[in-house]
Amino acid sequence: MAKQIIVIDDEKIVCDMAKKILEAEGYEVETFVDSQLALERIQSQPFDLVITDLKMENVSGMDILKEVNRLYPSTRVIMLTAYATLDATIEAIRERIYDFFPKPVKIDELKKSVKKALGD
Amino acid sequence: MFRTAITIRKRIIIAAVIQAIVICLICAFGYVSFNTILTKLQSIEIIDDVNISFLEMRKAEKNYFLYQDLSSLDELLQIGTKRYKVLEASRSYLVTGLHGLSNQEYTGLLHNLKRYLELIQQALYNKKVPPPLEKEIRTLGHNLTEQSATLLARERKTVSSIVSYSLIMLLVSLGVIFIIQVVLWQYFFRFILQEIGVMERMIKMVSEGRFHEVAVKTIAPSNEIRVAVQAIADMARELEKREQELMQSGKLASLGILISGVAHELGNPLNNISLIAQTYLSLYDMLGDEEKKNYMGDVYTQSERIKKIVENLLDFSRQKKQEMKDTQVGDLVQRSLGLVANQLKISKVRYHLDIAEDLPLISVAPSQIQQVLVNLFINAIQAMDGGGQLFIEASYDQEQNMVNLSVRDTGTGIKKEILPHIFDPFFTTKSTKGTGMGLSVSYGIIRQHHGEILVESEEGQGTTFTIKIPAKDNDKGSNHGQANYRDR
Repeated sequence: MAKQIIVIDDEKIVCDMAKKILEAEGYEVETFVDSQLALERIQSQPFDLVITDLKMENVSGMDILKEVNRLYPSTRVIMLTAYATLDATIEAIRERIYDFFPKPVKIDELKKSVKKALGD
Repeated sequence: MFRTAITIRKRIIIAAVIQAIVICLICAFGYVSFNTILTKLQSIEIIDDVNISFLEMRKAEKNYFLYQDLSSLDELLQIGTKRYKVLEASRSYLVTGLHGLSNQEYTGLLHNLKRYLELIQQALYNKKVPPPLEKEIRTLGHNLTEQSATLLARERKTVSSIVSYSLIMLLVSLGVIFIIQVVLWQYFFRFILQEIGVMERMIKMVSEGRFHEVAVKTIAPSNEIRVAVQAIADMARELEKREQELMQSGKLASLGILISGVAHELGNPLNNISLIAQTYLSLYDMLGDEEKKNYMGDVYTQSERIKKIVENLLDFSRQKKQEMKDTQVGDLVQRSLGLVANQLKISKVRYHLDIAEDLPLISVAPSQIQQVLVNLFINAIQAMDGGGQLFIEASYDQEQNMVNLSVRDTGTGIKKEILPHIFDPFFTTKSTKGTGMGLSVSYGIIRQHHGEILVESEEGQGTTFTIKIPAKDNDKGSNHGQANYRDR
């Protein structure tokens, strides 16, 4: 059965492209532009991997990371961000972030990181 | 005319000289009049005495003829001689030319009296008066009293006519003084006051910061006020230049803050384009024609997004002429919010717009008002460390014909004791983060637009800045399809 990945980013194009690329790699991908809806989805169902943007309206990437850690401690989270401040990075590391990608994201590196995170 | 070349100094001197001449003339006239009256009164007194003496002489004369009493003639001679001496000595009081006795009348009177007294003397000497002599004495005596009575009446009439003439002249003098004052006012002082009025208006404009409206008005050349007015105009020009420099530096300061936000804002579309390109390359063989077209379409949309961000920033930073444009308040708010969108997002500030429908247009220099708004937004964001709410409301005050725009934050607020200083130049509470010019420049901009900027603040509750700008008269702008309520 294909591994399930949830992608959360308020930029629709990021969601669309990530879905396209990761589906081509054989994963099952769900995308959310609205982080609130994404959080609700995560609460209702576990995913194998979470890829989320850091800065978002309402629910931030950090909130998602904390919620995933709380509900599914073994699920890994990859974070994308256009502006990573040192504080945010330290906080993310303390919350056991798996990987951190500054935007613009290099797809090959993201693919590698996803593969590694899912233990393939 | 007078106003073309005469300096104020000359005008005042000329006016003073004219006034002095008029006053001297009037005084001289008064002096002459009173002097004449005085002489006349003395003359009347003399003639009155003469008249009484003559009557007494006649009485003595009659006594003599009735009772043949020689002592009466003696008495008569004494009175007559005394009177004759007085009359002879009083020539200068009596013969005074225009209003006085004529020389002929005077000598006639004197001559008659002399003759009369000679006849009396003769009678006294002879101790009797023959009938022809008696007749002559009686006739002469009668003539003398007649003459003196006529002269007395005439002199009295003359005095009364001189007095009424003086009275008329006094009124005429008042009229002349009045007319001269009117003429002086018309040709000398009215312009001075007008020109001072112009100066006053110019200084008021300068004090209100409306420098560009201060222009040299039509004022007589080579006039002292012209020099002062020119100096005010020069000062206004210089102040305007300085203020523009100040505004530009204030703008550059906000620009420094904006630029990091804008750089981040550019990150998203750049990342999108990068992702599209990478996906396009790596999945090229798997993509259908339609999908490829869509990808390129997305790239175009994202590049347009970048263009818009850059344009908005450039628009703000450019030093533009202060062209007044009829503008929608809502548009200005939207464009200014666009510039700080990223700051809002990073600082977790949510904004709420409440722009009334059918707001009238305002005639403003859009980039300047935008500068004020951006400044207020940045201040608000900086006052809300850790996030907050920003309320932006615009409404129309029909009574004052003003558009009111308020920017309210839920930040730390401003301490009461520093509230009165926040619009002062170089006043800052942000130490290295601020220049202290932001609000001062904003204040200047709003004043230049004939508006007002007010502040209310409660420590720990937040701060509200209210901008009031005059609405364009009788012109309701279209609503620009803007939503009445919009939150983010």
